[in-house]
Amino acid sequence: MSVLAAPPRPRTWPRTVAVLVVLALITAATVTPAIGGIRIDLGTIARHWHFGWTKVQQMFDPDLSILPRTWKPLLETLEIAVVGAAASALLALPLSLWAARPTNPTWGRSAVRAVLNAVRAVPDLVYATVLVAMVGVGALPGVLTLVLFDLGVVVKLVSEAIDSADARYLEAGLAAGGTQAQANRMMAVPQTWPAYASQVLYSLELNVRISSVLGLVGAGGIGRLIDEVRGFYRYGALGVIIVEILVVVVLIEVASNVLRKRLR
Amino acid sequence: MSAVLAPARPRVAAPPRPRRLAVRTAQLVTGAVVLAALWHVHLDWTGLRELPGDVVHYLRLMFAHPDWSKLPYALQQTWVSVQMAWLGALLGVVVSTVLGIPAAQGVGPLWLRLPLRAVFAVIRAVPEVIIAIVILTVTGLTPFTGALALAIGGIGTHAKWTYETIEAVPGGTAEAVRAAGGTLLETARWGLWPEAAPELLSLALYRFELNVRTSAILGLIGVGGVGDLLTGYTQYRQWDAVGVLIVVVVVVTMAIDAVSGALRRRITKGARARVVDGTE
Amino acid sequence: MSATPSVSSPEAALAASGPWPVRLDDVSVRYPDGTVALRNVTLAVEPGEMVAVVGLSGSGKSTLVRTVNGLVPATSGRVQVGPHDVGALRGRRLRELRGGVGMIFQAFNLADRASVYQNVLVGRFAHTPTWRTLLGLAGHDDREIVLAALDSVGMLEKVWGRAGALSGGQKQRVAIARALSQRPRVMLADEPVASLDPPTAHSVMADLARINAEQGLTVLVNLHLMDLARQYTTRMIGLRAGELVYDGPAASADDAVFEEIYGRPLQVRDRLGSAG
Repeated sequence: MSVLAAPPRPRTWPRTVAVLVVLALITAATVTPAIGGIRIDLGTIARHWHFGWTKVQQMFDPDLSILPRTWKPLLETLEIAVVGAAASALLALPLSLWAARPTNPTWGRSAVRAVLNAVRAVPDLVYATVLVAMVGVGALPGVLTLVLFDLGVVVKLVSEAIDSADARYLEAGLAAGGTQAQANRMMAVPQTWPAYASQVLYSLELNVRISSVLGLVGAGGIGRLIDEVRGFYRYGALGVIIVEILVVVVLIEVASNVLRKRLR
Repeated sequence: MSAVLAPARPRVAAPPRPRRLAVRTAQLVTGAVVLAALWHVHLDWTGLRELPGDVVHYLRLMFAHPDWSKLPYALQQTWVSVQMAWLGALLGVVVSTVLGIPAAQGVGPLWLRLPLRAVFAVIRAVPEVIIAIVILTVTGLTPFTGALALAIGGIGTHAKWTYETIEAVPGGTAEAVRAAGGTLLETARWGLWPEAAPELLSLALYRFELNVRTSAILGLIGVGGVGDLLTGYTQYRQWDAVGVLIVVVVVVTMAIDAVSGALRRRITKGARARVVDGTE
Repeated sequence: MSATPSVSSPEAALAASGPWPVRLDDVSVRYPDGTVALRNVTLAVEPGEMVAVVGLSGSGKSTLVRTVNGLVPATSGRVQVGPHDVGALRGRRLRELRGGVGMIFQAFNLADRASVYQNVLVGRFAHTPTWRTLLGLAGHDDREIVLAALDSVGMLEKVWGRAGALSGGQKQRVAIARALSQRPRVMLADEPVASLDPPTAHSVMADLARINAEQGLTVLVNLHLMDLARQYTTRMIGLRAGELVYDGPAASADDAVFEEIYGRPLQVRDRLGSAG
């Protein structure tokens, strides 16, 4: 009887080992204080964990006296989130069409994408910090921060969705003697609508989370109150505010999920 | 043309356009909510009108003559931020994977799935900054605090992605292993892992990318890194230094995104290629 | 000629002023990646003629019809459509030409999520200023033309429905209505029945033949099956590897012609079966 001649088994383990070694080296570099790495101080955790635990316990011992003061800033947080999402949605649709190949085969596509990549590389609270210094404390820097943040997210995802979707219908628009703008308006917009609307809803969800901390740097909303109660070590009140944010975030998520299902 | 000469017939009777009441209502409600929010929130309209001028003014302050002498220090602090992000991603992904797999439908039992998912949802709602505020009472204003805050804050979304990825694995493979008499652990190793691993690895890298951004934010409460510097220079209105910092943040973030994005594409594409070749 | 006085009847709504001839003179097309899709094709189609273009996929059929409306520019040679020299047209003039040339596609190329009405309104693009389209304003005449076009293909019932909800045959009818609403002088069809089941394929071909007969439109239709060409058209063009290898009556195209075009003898699977 002859032995079955199997094709040689491809050797994947050397590569796996190499990848693991590289990951281990990077990790080692980040935790070695001698070369500027982070000092992992498990000793402090062992010694001081009860400080943190006390804070968590205090948070679970709600200080409801803060409640009446939270309504206005909470509403402002929501308003900032909604206005930010709406303003960015208005700008995002034309920009997305501009940044995608099927809807803009000619020019400026990579420029739009490059600018938005740069916009996306700056974290939200950094925008807020700088904008507060520019235009002053209030809701305006908050709204502007969210517009910048949302534009980065929505335009990227929607233009990628247009790029990867079947866009043969646009050929028909051009073949009928239409301009690219006409074909985009009449065909690409309805075709892209579900992806776009669902990204806008997603950006609204993110906005509620983000705008709740924008106040930490003076950009309006409930974050201002968070900063205050933290300054006075009122962890019970902080717990109440977190629960409120939790409730609002969950409600918005549920609502946006319901809407998103109906989009199809 | 004969068609033109044809006797005039009554115009085409189109079926009546259906009224889409639900859609109209949704549009009106959305519009009303947005307008109400816009009207009620106190936007500084003069500020908005002067905004373009202001932006040009400040951009010039920041980028016309950046203070490049701050560059070495900025790079050093950025490195601290990246370290926070890496460590936070590593810890967060390990914990999320351990907790996320049993939270997937078809893996863990219901009594385990529900509380786990509730915990993830709660963590998702708490901003990283607030988690950091609690943790810094234990470990102080150190980058380690930042890494821990990123790790814990990341669990909320990352564990969710983990169980969603596992649930998205087509049932066939796992079923085949189970049909061949595999135990739960064997099912996970041979049925789920080969299918889900590339996606999970790719998500882990993505977690690192997200953490790079968030770590800059954590600096705002003083745990170190580039965010710390940024707050300081902004408060003292040293715009030429702020400009340098923003350039550094943008360049480093985009570089990390590019490298990590290329790796992620290789991971997911490579997995697909292996499946097609049948060499896996 | 593109200005439309008010419309008095559905037939008048779709009436074009007169078919155009199509003339290709030594046309070659080379794509940027180096592929040569057409080699020195010379061809004349009389106004009102219905011509089938047959050949294997990759033989250059799609490229050939796309040179007629300038979707694919000819690398060399001259394409003459009615009064237009296609190669010389840019911008507004090119769109004017395209407005006179209707086109239907193998994949229907409808915006699935838009309504049937919106999809057919696309045919009025060339006669609508861009700003009107952007604002979503359709003129009264455009509306009448769209409804008449849908009526003429029997799809008026579905006018407000979503295009994606239709069957393949219905989609192709809507696509024909879109082309008709242009009031075209030439109709191009790129594999219009390749995605359809045989009975539907025959009814769509019959629609095209009817349009050719009733409105006197010049029709150029790509087919990969020769028997359809024989049934519905009088003249047949054979393409093989970008070269014109047959141009003659469809009826007299025999097995030898088939072998010339397809490079192999006729087999049973090359037939779609006859109509009815």
